[in-house]
Amino acid sequence: MTGHIRTGTTATRAPWLTLRRREMFEGWLFVSPTVIGFLIFFLGPLIAVIIYSLSEWNLLSQQMTYIGTANYRDALIQNPDFWHVIRNSVIFAAGLVPLNMTLALALALALCRPGRGVVFFRTAFFAPVVTSAVAWAIVWKFLLQGEAGAVNQMLAVIGIDGPNWLREPDWAMAAVIVTRVLKMVGLNMILYIAALQSIPRDYEDAARLEGAGNWQIFRMVTWPLLAPSTLIIMVITTIGSFKVFDHIYLMTGGGPENGTLVLAFYIYEQAFEFFNVGYASALAMIMFAIVLVLALVQIMLRQKGSA
Amino acid sequence: MELTIRQAAIVKKLCWTLALSVVAVPFLFPFLWMISSAFKNANEIFGQPNLIPDVWRWRNFVEVFEYQPFARQYFNSIYIAVLVTGLTLILSSLAGYALARMRFAGAGLLMLFLLSALMVPEEVTIVPNFFLMKWLGAMDTHIPLVLLPVFGPHGVMATFLMRQYFVSLPKELEEAGKMDGLSRLGIWWKIALPMSRPALAAVAIITFLFSWNLFLEPLVFLSSIENFTLPLALSNFTDPYGSPLWHLQLAATSLAVVPILIVYLIAQRQIIESFAMSGVKG
Amino acid sequence: MSSLKLRNMTKTFGKTKVIHGIDLDVLEGEFVVFVGPSGCGKSTLLRMIAGLEDISGGELWIGGRQVNEVQAARRGVAMVFQSYALYPHLTVRQNMGFGLKVRKEKPDSIARKVDEAAMTLQLEKLLDRYPRELSGGQRQRVAIGRAIVGDPKVFLFDEPLSNLDAELRVHMRAEIASLHRRLENTMIYVTHDQIEAMTLADRIVVLRDGRIEQVGNPKELYAHPDNIFVAQFIGSPKMNICSADALAPELTRAGIPMEGVEQIGLRPEHLRIVPDGGLINGQVALSEYTGGGSLLHVEMEGAGRFLVLSEGQEGPQPGDEVQLDFDTANLHRFDAEGRSLQAAREPVPA
Repeated sequence: MTGHIRTGTTATRAPWLTLRRREMFEGWLFVSPTVIGFLIFFLGPLIAVIIYSLSEWNLLSQQMTYIGTANYRDALIQNPDFWHVIRNSVIFAAGLVPLNMTLALALALALCRPGRGVVFFRTAFFAPVVTSAVAWAIVWKFLLQGEAGAVNQMLAVIGIDGPNWLREPDWAMAAVIVTRVLKMVGLNMILYIAALQSIPRDYEDAARLEGAGNWQIFRMVTWPLLAPSTLIIMVITTIGSFKVFDHIYLMTGGGPENGTLVLAFYIYEQAFEFFNVGYASALAMIMFAIVLVLALVQIMLRQKGSA
Repeated sequence: MELTIRQAAIVKKLCWTLALSVVAVPFLFPFLWMISSAFKNANEIFGQPNLIPDVWRWRNFVEVFEYQPFARQYFNSIYIAVLVTGLTLILSSLAGYALARMRFAGAGLLMLFLLSALMVPEEVTIVPNFFLMKWLGAMDTHIPLVLLPVFGPHGVMATFLMRQYFVSLPKELEEAGKMDGLSRLGIWWKIALPMSRPALAAVAIITFLFSWNLFLEPLVFLSSIENFTLPLALSNFTDPYGSPLWHLQLAATSLAVVPILIVYLIAQRQIIESFAMSGVKG
Repeated sequence: MSSLKLRNMTKTFGKTKVIHGIDLDVLEGEFVVFVGPSGCGKSTLLRMIAGLEDISGGELWIGGRQVNEVQAARRGVAMVFQSYALYPHLTVRQNMGFGLKVRKEKPDSIARKVDEAAMTLQLEKLLDRYPRELSGGQRQRVAIGRAIVGDPKVFLFDEPLSNLDAELRVHMRAEIASLHRRLENTMIYVTHDQIEAMTLADRIVVLRDGRIEQVGNPKELYAHPDNIFVAQFIGSPKMNICSADALAPELTRAGIPMEGVEQIGLRPEHLRIVPDGGLINGQVALSEYTGGGSLLHVEMEGAGRFLVLSEGQEGPQPGDEVQLDFDTANLHRFDAEGRSLQAAREPVPA
């Protein structure tokens, strides 16, 4: 360092609030509302949920007792409900994700180029996304009723005797999956459309000049180029399927015979209907872990893909 | 008879249109059926699924308001959504701007923290938030319905959306503002925000709909009927024995859904783009 | 009186030092150009003067005041940005008056100053247009107009012509030169284009890797570069450099002291093709016709390839053997470190 020059001139001493400090101060000021809210309504509760999950909560005396991992053991080992719920959640995800993504990609491929009617269909397929889940569930619950439901009446016209969709466990699961796909597929469709439109047309043109057909172009050009988007969409959709609550709550209430009782609903039920706060918190932590693992898998796959 | 290329193209196009139309039925029929049934009496709803009511029962729409304070509930939904949208716009664009443009110690760590919030579902933190709100005396008020969306994962998502947009803007304009004597707040308000209208519109649209359609939080925090928001009110049209009053429920649902649908039809391009923008964040 | 004073200015980004102790005095009304290859720190230095980058070490004085910790807008400087940075949502008039409005000047005073500046730059007819409705050259003028309006002590230009096409660039270069003559403000101008530097500057500061290589007026830099870097950076086509060994005997015979000379340099325009008696022999490898003459690539015996400017339409053809001669006064000699060994440096009139 050459400090001699500083002493040689009549330099005024730098003020405490240097431009650098000022920027830092302003930066924190800008983010402070978000950060404070984040700490109070997000990070704090997240820590609290960990503590709750290790405690037993007595509602009458409003006292918390530390009971270690008993709530987790309860869920993972003792309570058969838990695995039933996990099974339901996995079935729900395993049914919803492939159906949603296949349909979304098919619709996107059909609607990614501008043309007559494209706007109409895009608008139609996306409309349920902006509609409240409550409205969608109410209407479909009605349409899927046993004999009076419109779906079965239409099936009757072509000679099919439809089941009482929401009253039989297996059919109920299928029904909530399909209606959920109808509600949300528009979102993935537009994500796929955006991804498709970002692929330069040149690739397709080059393939076509080399004599590739539509299916070959899709298989050899479009699909590989879509892979990163597919991965992201898949993870978003899977995480979303584990979070589904309102749809189930309104259509089946978890029934029949707990046939559609999924994790998010189970947490709600345990916390706010049975007031098993500790147990519900342990469930919430397990849900957090599942989502975290899914997200990490996404990040890892993405890095592997780019390497 | 051989088809010319042109004729073949037309036939192909017709087939596609037909196929898409069939697929579109389960997407569109529920809306049409909902609106038409809103005018039917309870018996007709259970009859043939015809889209034109035999008897138009306009009284459904009067009874909706008699059965529960539906106007009040409607207003609740509107003002909460407006408040949530306004707050989210201000806070997410402020924080997003700082994260995009300002260098301050801990910014990187903060980003990481906020990003991790995107992975945590609301269902995980709802239990402690329930006790927090109880402690604050905010049960059965609209306070949690405003604060939790603004500061929860949705607010974080909005912050990142804004940040990404700010990063993509040319920096020199803001530097020119600095040379012109604007403070940081001035640069944000007078230069960065006017250039960010597409991002602000996207945040506004998805936030409004997010708040408007929120269900779990109202269900957990609200108990008095006059405090209900629309999604909760809609699920509450039951007779004294607990079975739904279908005709009223469908009339109320139509009243809740149709205005949104009309706005959607007018601005479908903008709205769809907004969702695409937020979705890319992942 | 000096209008700008840099004392040991340094800049570090994280752990990397990008500006290594710059000392410089800029006189009132002087046109100084910072020039250097990309990454040399010229833009960073300018932005430090502007107040857009904070100063890691040293002192910056503007108009007799130390301004290290003074905010950009209060330093009395104005900047013309490379992309012009015109606010897209404001008209030309609003763009030009924006800074004054922020400083809370009265509307009539703003209007007067904007009109004045618009007149200077012939922008009167464009005042109510939006930036997107302007051509590149017009935008450039508005950007300059915005800088003029605030009547700054120092104008800063950050590669202002690099977004224009070649023709417009020459035109705007002349406009900036005439603007400087009229306004007589201090101007600091950053460019990577040495022709821009030569044509505009009173003094040129050549920068490399965050250090000053040489400061001087254009003629000085051309005639007496301090080192090989400056010698090759200034002048186009660039100076030929070769090892001294190949030509040492001939040059010594010609009476040039060659002690300690490791490399020599000759500008293409100083080399002459002579029928015989030239100091160097070579063979033409390539001839590029440039209209007024040809640029010859001549393969020298043991000295690599030289560029030679040959005038006239009938130059030598590829394959021809040629002899080259030059004025010994135009020979540049460099030591092992690449420093110039120019004996007596006569001051070159500016």
